[in-house]
Amino acid sequence: MSAHVVVRDLRKSYAGVEAVRGVSFSIEAGEIFGLLGPNGAGKTTTVECLIGLREPDAGELEVCGLDARRHPHEVKQHIGVALQSTSLQDKITPREALRLFGAFYRERVPAGELLERFALTEKADARFETLSGGQRQRLALALAFVNRPKLVLLDEPTTGLDPQSRRELHAAIARMKHDGYTVLFTTHYLDEAEHLCDRVAIIDRGRIVGQGAPRELIAQSKGLQAVTLVTSRPLELARLSALPGAADVAATDETGTAFHFQTADATATLAALMRLLQEARVELLDLQVRKASLEDVFLRLTSRKEEAAA
Amino acid sequence: MNALVEHLRLSLRLHFRNKMALLYGYLFPLIFLVAFWVLYRHEKVPLLRHMGELLTVAVLGGACFGLPTTLVSERERGVWRRYRLTPVPTWAIVTSTVLARYVIVLTAGLLQLGLALAIGMTMPEHPFDLWVAFSFVSFAFIGLGLVIATLADNVPAVQALGQCIFLPMLIIGGVAVQLASLPLWAQHVSAFFPGRYAVEAIQTCVNGRGLPGARFSLLALGLVGFAGCLAGAKLFRWDAQQRFATRAGKLWLVPALAAWVAVGLLAEWRGRIGVSVDKELPPAPTRPATPPPGPAPVAVTPPAPVAPTPVVTTPAPVPVPPPARTLAPPPPPPPWAKITKADTDAIDFQVPPDHGIVAPFAPPDEPPEDFMKDQVEGVRQKIATWPPGSEGDELRCIRNLLYIAAVPDAIQLPVERYMPRVVYEHLLDTYPRETLIKVLTYIVQNPEAGMVIDDISDLGIEGAAGDPLLVRERAYLYAIKFIMRLTGRVEE
Repeated sequence: MSAHVVVRDLRKSYAGVEAVRGVSFSIEAGEIFGLLGPNGAGKTTTVECLIGLREPDAGELEVCGLDARRHPHEVKQHIGVALQSTSLQDKITPREALRLFGAFYRERVPAGELLERFALTEKADARFETLSGGQRQRLALALAFVNRPKLVLLDEPTTGLDPQSRRELHAAIARMKHDGYTVLFTTHYLDEAEHLCDRVAIIDRGRIVGQGAPRELIAQSKGLQAVTLVTSRPLELARLSALPGAADVAATDETGTAFHFQTADATATLAALMRLLQEARVELLDLQVRKASLEDVFLRLTSRKEEAAA
Repeated sequence: MNALVEHLRLSLRLHFRNKMALLYGYLFPLIFLVAFWVLYRHEKVPLLRHMGELLTVAVLGGACFGLPTTLVSERERGVWRRYRLTPVPTWAIVTSTVLARYVIVLTAGLLQLGLALAIGMTMPEHPFDLWVAFSFVSFAFIGLGLVIATLADNVPAVQALGQCIFLPMLIIGGVAVQLASLPLWAQHVSAFFPGRYAVEAIQTCVNGRGLPGARFSLLALGLVGFAGCLAGAKLFRWDAQQRFATRAGKLWLVPALAAWVAVGLLAEWRGRIGVSVDKELPPAPTRPATPPPGPAPVAVTPPAPVAPTPVVTTPAPVPVPPPARTLAPPPPPPPWAKITKADTDAIDFQVPPDHGIVAPFAPPDEPPEDFMKDQVEGVRQKIATWPPGSEGDELRCIRNLLYIAAVPDAIQLPVERYMPRVVYEHLLDTYPRETLIKVLTYIVQNPEAGMVIDDISDLGIEGAAGDPLLVRERAYLYAIKFIMRLTGRVEE
């Protein structure tokens, strides 16, 4: 299967500050690829360079076999984009919007087909100002599919949606995979990335700090298990960090009674923890041990970068 | 092309769904039209002499407020950012937006024209030329609207910038206040505003010579429009995050401003600051020379000459005939000598009230306010020796004296109410009552005869009316008002 998107050594600066510093990744055809990162990490800039909203300073961008920097208009014929917040004119209806945007492309999907596919038939002739947040986001998705795109880019599509709308959107993205679309989406909801993406790239401070299938990334964390605990009295962070196998120890509240850490040997670490609590005469109120998630991987990768930067 | 047509169609459809846009785009110009109709209700052909101003206001509102408001609000909402993700080029979306705005202002103009025709205005003299001139005006102001859209970061900024351009254009740019009523410095300033050329171009096509008489105005509008469109295209912003202050390429504003300056300097160089000839020409000369009798409001109609009459902006010295060396036959009786009482009675005495804004006439017991006392007294002292009112035959002198009342009224000076009283009292002191009645009746019957004096600055009243037709109309109304007093129809 050939790569639909290739990004090589992408660089972009704003007023002398490098927002993207040599980002590289590729997306295979039919793949759902997630670009994850904290706010300001450079993921939106990366996507905006890819869709032609920004001119990169350096790097190569290839979309559907086309050089996106040399042929931006041709590339736009093949991609569909749903931005984080797509707003249209108050008085426009979904049917009119789909017809209008359809007229911008060589190939177009009939408005009725998209309305049905994104469950907007009942609201086809309702004005945009009367649509709910979920309906607006579904319309934004429908607009992304108006040209039968080979690549769909979704920029934080679920941000600000209620749980029901989020669930509907997850179903829509899952259907895209089923229909064979190639999808690149950015999010900071790691659970949905873990659930929906074939592969993810974690970007931090303008660099890719981790890349691969969610399971692989989790496996790369060497079987670390995540431990959270709550105590009756504050404990010194240094004493917890000294536990055998404990890593990335952090207090999760200001009182110094809630902690999070990872360990490669849960049995040894927990035995030592119990001894420590007994000696310190501190009562254990809550203890949870679970397998590491993508969120743990994300936190580990981005926090290490922070430490290194510090 | 398909994208352009679809976007144009949708833009128009959305415009007609927006109540506020309809209010500003259509109702606002119509309110202006009704206001002008009421203000100038005594003109024989309603609104004909004001279509330049009215249509310009319609285009100004649509192009300098409507267009940038739409562009900026859509940019703020992210609609343009979404358009940018499609393969359609910038020029296609901007072109369709501009075309949609042209259609909107054109329909607003047609609506104004239709209403004006419905309330009695005659058809414009050159309809095709009018359309061409209107299109140039639209082009100029749409270019200006594009510049405003690039400058304004949000909709309130559009309103502020629009007002900065709209109000000066209305007040000293010759759009709402006639240039002739403005002091000379304002007329110089107006030469730098496209509003002046918009009014002139349209008005010339409504009741003047058509496009041949509007060449300079069309050139000025074309230049301003081209520069505006160029700057608007070069500074075009897709994204609300692109703040104007942080943008590069601001120098593209220079051509837009330079066009205004260049047009103004060109007008100065070519001596086009005074009111243009076309504007001074009266409307279509199709009216009878004498007002027809009957209940129709003839008495309040503006007189119209059968043929263009010479216009003087300063009183011309009356040539003194050389002394006769041989016996000459007795001079023929003056034309007014044949006027009878029946002629006077046939006049329709329906005139605007003395306390109104047209031909006001202060009662004898109303002294002028302190700040204008000197001015009124100055006229009272100079009137007896004022050459146009004292040299020549009775008809010429009395007609010229009427202009002392008419000019301040046409300019709407504060002293306008008191000048008729000064003139009337001077006439009573100078001429027998019967002679006055006959001469004034003759003037009413022949309102277009003789020359017009529209500048009485040598009497201490500064400002020129600039519009001879208007001055004749007011002189005609005062002639009737004087007759009403002389014949006892009005008691004082």
